[in-house]
Amino acid sequence: MVMLKNELIMRNPMQYLSGQSTDILADGQFGGVLARAGVGKTALMVQIALNSMLHERNVMHVSLNQPVNKTNLWYREVFGHVARQASVAQPEALWESLLPHRFIMTFRAEGFSVPKMEERLTDLVEQRIFVPQLLIVDGLSFDEPVRDSLSELKHYARLHAIRVWFTIRTHRHEDPGPGGWARQLADVEDLFEVAIQLVPVGEEIHVKPLKGLTLTAAHAHLVLDPTTMLVKERGV
Amino acid sequence: MKKDIRHVRNIGISAHIDSGKTTLTERILFYTQRIHAMHDVKGKDGVGAFMDSMELERERGITIASAATFCEWDGHEINIIDTPGHVDFTIEVERSLRVLDGAILVLCSVGGVQSQSITVDQQMRRYKVPCIAFINKCDRSGANPFRVIDQLKAKLGHNAVALQIPIGLEADFTGVVDLLRMKAVYFDGDKGEILRLEEIPDPLIELAQAKREEMLDAASMFSDELMEAILEEKEISSDLILGALRRGALARQITPVLMGSAYKNKGVQVLLNAVNDLLPCPDDVENNALDMDQDEAPVRLVTDPEAPLVALAFKLEDRTYGQLTYIRVYQGALSKGDTIINVRTGKKIKVGRVVRMHSNQMEEIEAIPAGYIGALFGIDCASGDTFVTPGLSLTMTSMYVPNPVISLMIHPKDHKSEINLSKALNRFTKEDPTFKTHVNPETGETIISGMGELHLDVYIERMQREYAAEVTAGAPRVAYRETITQRAEFDYIHKKQTGGSGQYGRIGGWLEPLLDKDFEFDNQVVGGSIPTQFIPACEKGFRNCLAKGPKMEFPVTGVKVVINDGASHSVDSSDMAFQAAARGAFQQGYFKAKPVVQEPIMKVVVETPTAFQGPVMGSLNQRRGMIVGAQDEGSLCVIESQVPLAEMFGYSTVLRSLTQGQAQFTMEFLAYKTVPQSIADELEKKAAEQKKKVA
Repeated sequence: MVMLKNELIMRNPMQYLSGQSTDILADGQFGGVLARAGVGKTALMVQIALNSMLHERNVMHVSLNQPVNKTNLWYREVFGHVARQASVAQPEALWESLLPHRFIMTFRAEGFSVPKMEERLTDLVEQRIFVPQLLIVDGLSFDEPVRDSLSELKHYARLHAIRVWFTIRTHRHEDPGPGGWARQLADVEDLFEVAIQLVPVGEEIHVKPLKGLTLTAAHAHLVLDPTTMLVKERGV
Repeated sequence: MKKDIRHVRNIGISAHIDSGKTTLTERILFYTQRIHAMHDVKGKDGVGAFMDSMELERERGITIASAATFCEWDGHEINIIDTPGHVDFTIEVERSLRVLDGAILVLCSVGGVQSQSITVDQQMRRYKVPCIAFINKCDRSGANPFRVIDQLKAKLGHNAVALQIPIGLEADFTGVVDLLRMKAVYFDGDKGEILRLEEIPDPLIELAQAKREEMLDAASMFSDELMEAILEEKEISSDLILGALRRGALARQITPVLMGSAYKNKGVQVLLNAVNDLLPCPDDVENNALDMDQDEAPVRLVTDPEAPLVALAFKLEDRTYGQLTYIRVYQGALSKGDTIINVRTGKKIKVGRVVRMHSNQMEEIEAIPAGYIGALFGIDCASGDTFVTPGLSLTMTSMYVPNPVISLMIHPKDHKSEINLSKALNRFTKEDPTFKTHVNPETGETIISGMGELHLDVYIERMQREYAAEVTAGAPRVAYRETITQRAEFDYIHKKQTGGSGQYGRIGGWLEPLLDKDFEFDNQVVGGSIPTQFIPACEKGFRNCLAKGPKMEFPVTGVKVVINDGASHSVDSSDMAFQAAARGAFQQGYFKAKPVVQEPIMKVVVETPTAFQGPVMGSLNQRRGMIVGAQDEGSLCVIESQVPLAEMFGYSTVLRSLTQGQAQFTMEFLAYKTVPQSIADELEKKAAEQKKKVA
């Protein structure tokens, strides 16, 4: 199984983003994936999560307004594509070994608050049911003021050495906010160590680092494959 | 019996346990004048709801066996199958859905879409059963039908469209607004039997208009005429809307939603209208049989009473005067005096009494025409058998039957019980394909197996009540099994040439893991190193090894045996010698193939008030459970997990005490997975102790 995992890590397209290290973020850091609706934020998030799970790091996936089954389906789909691409011999066995490293928690958007999520997290951690090392928050609206909540979560993340990724939904034809950042990020940009934007260009979706990430010259042009939504090098 | 097939409805009523489906059926029978008094499921009058014909069901307040009944409403004949709600009895639900053309999905306006509703919905999808939803219990505190509609959309992916809005809710619930006719409907009289139509109350007009718009939007996708009428702002007749909704519902693209309170006698008659208007008649549904002569090619059946007969026995019941077999006729007609063939056994049967069932009462009829459901007396068959006119060899598609996951030993208390027990087991195994029984050849114990603790519990109680078979039951046992994890070669010689007739056989080849199948035998021997006449003996020898695995004596599954070499002796080789060689070869290869023990893993879904989320997750975690996710639903939280069955015994008691009785859970088989080493060691220790005891 270890060999299978290593093989998949080696062939996982996420290495283009994370480079030599196992993860893009360090403990306590925030990362954001910005894009318009339907461009591939969740797909990229799931790739980040799977990469972490392959490194045997626990991932808590918090999804707003998506049922557990649907979120699970995303993982199955993306894992299926990655495994096929890497020609993994026993994908089912590998999938089973990854599952204990994932916990999906879903909330209704209207009932969600960061303190509520922290309460649930603490519950899990204290009982040693699940101790996350990576937290993914998918679907939080950055159109409303979130600075206070995020500051609080940042404190929590640092305290518990958790890396946190957010999807940030932007809107079409919207002027950038102060500092040239997307309006949704402008007010909280200082809390984020890494930001990536997904930009549809023609038929392609370009992966554009905005902050805290430098792509090596060899992999300077990353895109999402429109059929699998996996990260790949442009033109490959 | 009327013969206009367009006026026939075969419907099921499916729902989560305690959603009130039995009460709803009871009310339907009352309003259609099939019964003349109403009783509650757990009623104080001790009579119990009409459909719960079994004593046990009345006592537990749950519906176990489907009771089939029919009624008439507005010139339509409606056959109703009341289906059980508990997941342990899903074979009943599956069977019902197989023979039904449409269904009412009953949802509780407080509980909403619960885990069992999801299972039932998946089953409806599997059999492509169109459905309408009835949001029941609108009189209950916390009722919110619009939330339930949202859940139908979000959780089940239905295009749920409200055809009504409630007038008042909880204790103030008095009636519904019919969005088709834009009228308020009230249910007057002691038993809600008088429908009173009024203008919509002022405070509800705006909401009613908005919801009607939504309904028209959805319906217009299925009718150009309706779309045109909307765009041109013409008057829209309710028939036009109904036609569009019906098309959508039949294609399972729309789920019309009605609401009410069966217990308070509100909304039931309107629901019956919807059954007539929106659910399919037998002719609207495509049914296929498999042609046994044409390599099981599908054959489309026609709902024509003149065509050759094709009928399916979907339920058996033991009555005082013999076995009662519930039948759905798909093609042709089944008449008194006909000679028919049971396709499975090939036996000819003369049809005696033909009846129409009304829960546990019956009415003699001359024939059951195509599209109808009825029952036959005195026919020996199993559930799922197909009956045809002599000369046909069609069979209805086999139903999906899951393997049992739990077993326990039962022992009759005295000789009389022993005789009765065998009668009971004979009937139960015929009635329910998920309930199995066998005798352990070593210990002589009778073992029963099924789909869960409750499933077996109910059968043990039924043995006592219905057959006076007093039995003591052992502790439930999980159906463990063994499999191999890697390829391993074998080369085994079986040789016995010391006195008497000798035995000689050599087999070479390999074992390899096999997914999705229990066993496969592949003969790659060339050049006659094993003479052809001994190959079947080799296969038999390998097959015989599967019943009891060499590792822990659990059944072996998922093994492919390939033989490619061997040797024989002109005098000493025989079938017996090669069977013995195959056993030796299997033993030799098996341990090299890294065998593991697997256990059934159950999908356990717990619905709990959010306040108890932590303790519930803790309890699942303690049971070696893996929590897949937790879904926050406002005041409730749904936790989905995968837990080994071995750890789930007695969980209902634990959950009750953890949550002050406010949580509930459902459990169904998910997959077999390898047990952790520590558990395997424990099992090995137990098996060794057991062996010592037997010795």
